[in-house]
Amino acid sequence: MTMWERERMQSPRPASPLYWRLAPTVYHLLGSKCSDCGQITYPQTKICHKCGSFNQKDYQLPKTGKVHTFCINWTPPPGLEPPTVNVIVDLDGGGRYVGLLTEVANPDEVKIGTKVQMVFRRVVNDSGLDFYGYKFRLVEEA
Amino acid sequence: MSIRGKVAIIGVGLIPFGELFHKGLENMIQEAYMKCVKSIDKGFDPKDIKAAWFGQWSGGGMIGQGSREGTTLASVLGLRGIPISRLENGCPTGNDVFRNAVLGVASGAYDVVLALGAEKMRDKPGVESLIAAGGAAGGGILGLHPSWMLGMGGPVLQALYATRQMHQLGCTMEDYARVAVKNHHNGVACPYAEYRFEVTVERVLNSPVICWPLHLLDCCPQTDGAACAIVCRADLAKKYTDKPIYVLGTATGNDFKDMWDKENFIEMPATKFAARDAFAMAGIKPDDVDLAEVHDCFTNTELMNVEDIGFCKKGEAHKLLKEGYWAREDGHTPINASGGLKSHGHPIAATGLAQIAENFWQLRQDIEPVRQVKLKKGIALSHNVGGNGFGASSINIIGREP
Repeated sequence: MTMWERERMQSPRPASPLYWRLAPTVYHLLGSKCSDCGQITYPQTKICHKCGSFNQKDYQLPKTGKVHTFCINWTPPPGLEPPTVNVIVDLDGGGRYVGLLTEVANPDEVKIGTKVQMVFRRVVNDSGLDFYGYKFRLVEEA
Repeated sequence: MSIRGKVAIIGVGLIPFGELFHKGLENMIQEAYMKCVKSIDKGFDPKDIKAAWFGQWSGGGMIGQGSREGTTLASVLGLRGIPISRLENGCPTGNDVFRNAVLGVASGAYDVVLALGAEKMRDKPGVESLIAAGGAAGGGILGLHPSWMLGMGGPVLQALYATRQMHQLGCTMEDYARVAVKNHHNGVACPYAEYRFEVTVERVLNSPVICWPLHLLDCCPQTDGAACAIVCRADLAKKYTDKPIYVLGTATGNDFKDMWDKENFIEMPATKFAARDAFAMAGIKPDDVDLAEVHDCFTNTELMNVEDIGFCKKGEAHKLLKEGYWAREDGHTPINASGGLKSHGHPIAATGLAQIAENFWQLRQDIEPVRQVKLKKGIALSHNVGGNGFGASSINIIGREP
């Protein structure tokens, strides 16, 4: 155990600057769209990850999309109940989001192309501080 | 500018990989290095080493120690007074450390250079060690993205590819299992492998699901190990050995770092970039390669890598595997004749150098006869891909002739 780890165990404290800094990213889903190549990058960036252009405009991620790929994890780390369904979602209108599905009764229902929507949920507990963000829920077909 | 033929490998050393609870990082480093020095046929004076690169991925975090700088080698190997840098570049650390050592010689700055990688992966109990290995895989540290690494370790990252490979390329879990069957078969005869047993497709598919679609036996084990190589100016090599092996091409490729930026999940552009540059430097094509050690941290990864390196077209690796194409005995570019990460385990920084050691012995025909691959052009390739979005890859191509 490093000194840092020992100290952290003795006096748990949330890494609050990180949460504060990430507020626009986490709660407002702010990303960027490249004015030159159209690439959508999330979280926000001043330089396009794809083409290197400095011309970036704010882009708010849509909350609905389709599963691009997924897996069913039977060995998640402590704090998460197995199985978790990890997804990468193609958002409607552009952009991708990596996340977890929630409220899935039967993981076998999940397929590539399944429609999902973001819902606001408790995501993690870090050193006693509950932290909220978006997870995905299956869209009920009308 | 090509550096083909300017640098030679004169010796390699590695220790049998495994759960080496009785050995510390320092013990493993010393053992691998001493084996390497002693193996150099015409004798070698360690004072000839003028610089070293030390590969270390976990940085001491997994053994409860502070960061491990280059000074680790200065003390442990008695190499005070020479420049030693530590390098960490994800799973390609081993092949990238070798590349840096080669560039050190090719630049003309040093005549003889040591590249060494070592990793203690097993000291912490199972879950803790896996979390440490997956970065902040436990969730709770957000880093860049609100759900980045939330419940994601190596198996999740690769399973996200594996699902898409099945969907888009038509491969199946049976195809993934066949990679394990092949590599474990090869590993049985390799004295350096951790898990030396045969498996069948049924056994792989009946092993516990770790992260669907990947089973336990689709995953490489987490393992302790150390490996090294000594390289020198090609024109000095015969002073140390009559059978030097030459560096033909060396490259590192980088793609988007993170999973959500990826264009697709059936290929890894990092590997394609590294392969493009390494083959161009060597002036050869994938067909010229006699054997390759290819990163098989998970079974689906090997199939993807074989395609991305250029040994076959996208979507064909699993079909050719079914025909027996990549087998050690087959003659069509054997992949992971050593048994690969599947049977050796994956002590990150040591892995790439162990691959280079296998290729060195294969090309010199200094190997157990049952393991010897048929040589045609006398060229071998080693490859790693990794980083937490599989955005980094390193490739080294070596050969019997400069």
